[in-house]
This record gives sequence, structure tokens and C-alpha cells, in this order.
Amino acid sequence: MPSGALLFQSVILGLLLGGLYALLAAGLTLYFGIMRVVMIAHSAFLILAAYLAWWSHTELGVDPLLSMVVTVPLFFAAGVLLQRLLLARLRPVTLTMMSVLLTFAIAVVIEGLLGYVFSGTQRRIQLGYGSASLELFGARIAVVKLIAFGLAAVALLSLYLVMKKTAFGWALRATIQHRDAARLVGIDTDRVAGFGFGLGLATAAIGGTALSLDTTIYPSLHWHWIGPLMAIIVVGGLGSVPGAAAAAMVLGLAQSLLQIELGTTWAQTVFYIALFLTLAVRPQGFFGGRLAQRF
Amino acid sequence: MPSVSERLVTPGRAAGGVALVAFAAVALAYPSIAPNPYLLSVGIVVLNYAVLSTSWNFVGGFTGYISLGHGALAGLGAYGTGLLVTKGGLPSFGALVVAALLVAALAVPIGYAALRVRGASFVIVSIALVLVTLLVFQSWASFTGGSRGLNVPRPFPGMLRPEHHRVFFYLFLALLAVALLVWWLIDRSRFGLGLKAIREDEDKAEALGTPTFAYKLVVFVVSAFFTGLAGGLYALWFGDLDPIFQFSILTGSYMVLMALLGGVRNLFGPLVGALVVGVALEYFKVEFGNTPLHLVATGVLLALVVLFMPDGVLPALGSLLRRLDRTTDSSIREVTAAELAAQRIGGEQHAQSRNG
Repeated sequence: MPSGALLFQSVILGLLLGGLYALLAAGLTLYFGIMRVVMIAHSAFLILAAYLAWWSHTELGVDPLLSMVVTVPLFFAAGVLLQRLLLARLRPVTLTMMSVLLTFAIAVVIEGLLGYVFSGTQRRIQLGYGSASLELFGARIAVVKLIAFGLAAVALLSLYLVMKKTAFGWALRATIQHRDAARLVGIDTDRVAGFGFGLGLATAAIGGTALSLDTTIYPSLHWHWIGPLMAIIVVGGLGSVPGAAAAAMVLGLAQSLLQIELGTTWAQTVFYIALFLTLAVRPQGFFGGRLAQRF
Repeated sequence: MPSVSERLVTPGRAAGGVALVAFAAVALAYPSIAPNPYLLSVGIVVLNYAVLSTSWNFVGGFTGYISLGHGALAGLGAYGTGLLVTKGGLPSFGALVVAALLVAALAVPIGYAALRVRGASFVIVSIALVLVTLLVFQSWASFTGGSRGLNVPRPFPGMLRPEHHRVFFYLFLALLAVALLVWWLIDRSRFGLGLKAIREDEDKAEALGTPTFAYKLVVFVVSAFFTGLAGGLYALWFGDLDPIFQFSILTGSYMVLMALLGGVRNLFGPLVGALVVGVALEYFKVEFGNTPLHLVATGVLLALVVLFMPDGVLPALGSLLRRLDRTTDSSIREVTAAELAAQRIGGEQHAQSRNG
């Protein structure tokens, strides 16, 4: 039996990790809601943002957090273009399947280009405050993990406020709920869908920067993220943001606790086990509404 | 003049038949005409791709469910065969069949979880399958050899390398023929009709009494069986397995790319795609070595096919042939103005003669 302090530390780390998962899963949920698209390239963009943060730190010497000034607008624009120029061209009948292949292709291209430009070497940001940590009831929490969690929490909160309090958020939610009806009341759904994609990809930029603070990155890392993220959105119920957030917290916590006994590699399987069990027992997920029933 | 529907040998079919006979002749003669063992081994790799993407097409082509995880099924077939030979002491080809049956059995619970809901979840499960098998086979080193890999003893110990290639070339060719035959049989059966109904409109198919879930599950298991056989045969031929390559998401995406490029609704679509992509992949490997650029090339090609040619080259060729050959069916009757005038005059005379 692990000691109380170790257990407590794992719980804290699990919650911090769960926050990052929740932010990234929110992006995936957004795409799925808008277009019924499973965006495989989400985590590839995540790693791309992490590489850009690493690059701006080592080459330009600025704090990796500052890279977000560039990457967030850049990724927003990329998301809008991705939706308007590529995904909107696919046939509606086969959209779900073909969009998976298209975003998969994008993910592979990003991985290949990252490998070509930055080589396959593992990279890590060396920060002045990288090794600093806080003591809290006997648990040691790295400051960078707190920063990463803070970023994710702020981003999630802003996303929530945009969705609930702004006219654009209302238009976006209307588009998600009923595209035809939204068009009838005068919403330019194509435009809104494009901006929604931009918003989703902007979360990947923030998440990637947070990730780069305390993680060793390499081009094929995105496969280790897309699996857990997809498991989270299925367990939460496809299309449900609160569901995704709750599932992210629960599974992040479970992963962190299982790491004590099983080690990092085997602890990852908890996502896949949860995915299979959810689909076998309750395919619409644990928070999913009408949308998830059919996908 | 015989009507169009009575003409059994349309130019499209004739061209297809000629192409098939030509392919079979070249394939059978290839081991004799291949100038060196390397090119023969390339032929085996391409045939392996052809078997894999034809197996994939049991699910992808009939039901329209796209799996990115068939690479994992092939890897399980390969490792199953290897482990049954090395740890179980089974004879090579016995192990191959047992491993493929085990993969098919494993496909039942996987399919049960993946196929109960529609498309998106299926894709997610298929990708998760690759990631989880890679994780397990890398971490469980005491059983699978882990990242050090697994050596599979050759089935014919005394055989020289060129002869070994030759035998396996024909084995892969035979497996391809069987897979194509089974696909063709399902295509013509009532079962196949039900599967295609699922592809076109799953709700309507279900409303009309097609047992959609059972059909999807059965065809997924059949697909897994052939994929497992292909993977196992590869293990016996190649003799050296590494989890990174066996449980690679790329293998699955190659299968999809090949089948889509050729045309998923055609019996020979995946074969054509495998010939094009397989040869291109090998050429790329020789020219550019193992750079990450082959990822970029694969991704760009896949995106282009998805965006501009989702039906594949075979249907595109077919419509081109039809356009060149004016005599075959088209929705607009092609009659010259003179013929039309003659018909009209004849009709008018007929009417006049009746009236008068």
C-alpha cells in the first residue's frame, strides 16, 4: 500500500493532468458538435504548438508562454481555413468517415514535417523555474504543472464564457444544435462553423504550450495523446463538453493513481479499457445526449 | 439490333477480363522473370499489401465503415503465428491457421464494442486498437520479446533464399485469390446485398428487416480472419517481428489508401491500389531512404484521394471507357437527328393510314 503522501500527490497530479485533458477534449468535442468530425489531427497540432514553443525558447530565447501570442491566432486562422477549404468540400453523406481520413492525413503530414525539420530527436525546454516545486501537505507539485493547469483552466473558462455569454457563442451553439433552424433565424452557419473550428484549434495551441513546459516532445508523440483524448470524448458522450470535462478528470485521476502500482506504460491502458467498456455497456457515453446515440 | 442489356460483353467488362488474365499471367510468371531476389521480395511485399487491403475491403467496401486499425489485426496474426511456433511448438502453417482463427475470435468482442454505434465510434475504436496493441506488445517483453523483437523460425529450414521467396510469392498469390473469391461470393449473395444496404442507408436497411448489427459483426470477423492470415504469412516469410512495425497506424492507413485509390466498390480495387501504392512505397524507400518524408507523401496522397477521388481510379476509368464507347448504355438515348426524323415520319404515316 502506497503511503498517504504519495497517494495525495498522485491525486493532485491526476487532477492537474485531467485539466489539460479536459481542455483538449473540449476542442475535439467542439469539432464533433459542429460538423460530426472526429478530428484526428487535433493532437498533431498540439505537438506542433509544443514544438513552436520549444523553438521560440531555444532559438529566440523568449519564455515559451510568450509563443502563444503568435500560435493562438495562427492556429485559429489554420482552423478556419481547414474547415472552409478542406472539410466543407467533402460529401455530406460520407462526411464522418472521409473527414477522419482527411484529418488523419493532416496528422501524418504534420508528424512527417516535424520529423524532417526538427529531426526525431527528443526535445525538452530547460526553464529557470523548471525544477521549482511547491510543498503542500507533504506532496511535491512542480510549478510548471501548476502553470500548465492554470493555462488549461483559464482557456476552458474563456471557452465557456464565449459559448454562453457572447452572440457568437449563441450562434455557434445554435449551429451545433440545429443547423437548418440556425440558418432560418439568420445565422451564417458556414462562417460560424469555420470560426468554431478556429476556436477548437486555438485550444490546441494553448494546450501544446502548456504541454511543452514539462514534457519531452518528439514528432510521433501525438499518437500517445489522440488515443486518450478520443477515449475521453467517447466515455463522456460524443458532443458533450461537460461530459468530456468530467471524463477527463476521472480518467486523468485514474491514470495517475494506477501509475503508482503499474508504471506509466500500463497505466495508459486505463483509457482504452474505459473506451471498450463504455462502448460495450453504454455506447452513448455517460453524459451524452441525443447526438451521441447515433454515432 | 440487339438491345444494350442483352450485350453481355461490354467493352468495360472485356477490358476488365483482359486486364485480369494479363495480371494473372504476369503474376504467375513473375518469379521466373524477376531479375533478382530483391525485386522478387518487392513483389511479395506488394502482394502482401494486396491481400491486406482486399481483407480490409470486406468491411470498408461492403459496409462503408472505415477502419484505421486493421494494421493491429495483421500484427496480431503475425505475433500469434510467431508465438505459437516459438512458444507453442506448433508446425508453421498449423500455427498460421490457429493464429488467424484466434484473431477472428478476438474480433468478436472488438466488433461488438465498435459496431453497436455508428461510424465515428468505430473509427475511434479501430485507432485505439492499434495504440493499445502496440503498448501491450512493447511492454510485455517477457512474453513477446518487447522492443527487441521476435524471431520466427523459417518453415522450410533447408531452403535457399531465392527459392524461399519464390514459394512465398505463390503462397501470397494463392491467399489473394481466395480472398478475392470470397469477396466476390459475398458480393453476389443476399448477405452482401444486406451489407451494401447498410452502406447506403443503415436506418432504412434496419427498418426493412436487415439484421444490421449481426451482418456487420460477421463481415468484420471474416475481414479480421483474412487480415490475420496475411499477417501470419508475412511473419513466416519475413521471420523477424518488431512491435513498432507490426502495430503501426501506418499499416492500417496504407490499407485504406490502397483500397480507396483503387475503388472500394470494386472487387479488384484494392489490388490495383496495392500495385500502385505498394510499388510507389518501395520506390520511395530506395530513392529517399527512411526519412520522415514518406509520412508526408503518404499523407498528401491520402488527402488528395479523399478530396478529389473518393470513388477510386477503377470507377473513374470505367466512366472514361463508357464515354469513349458511345454504343453502351447512357441515360440519354443517342439517336441521330436523321433517325429521329425517319421515326417521326414513319409514325405520322402510320397514324395517317389509320385515320384515313
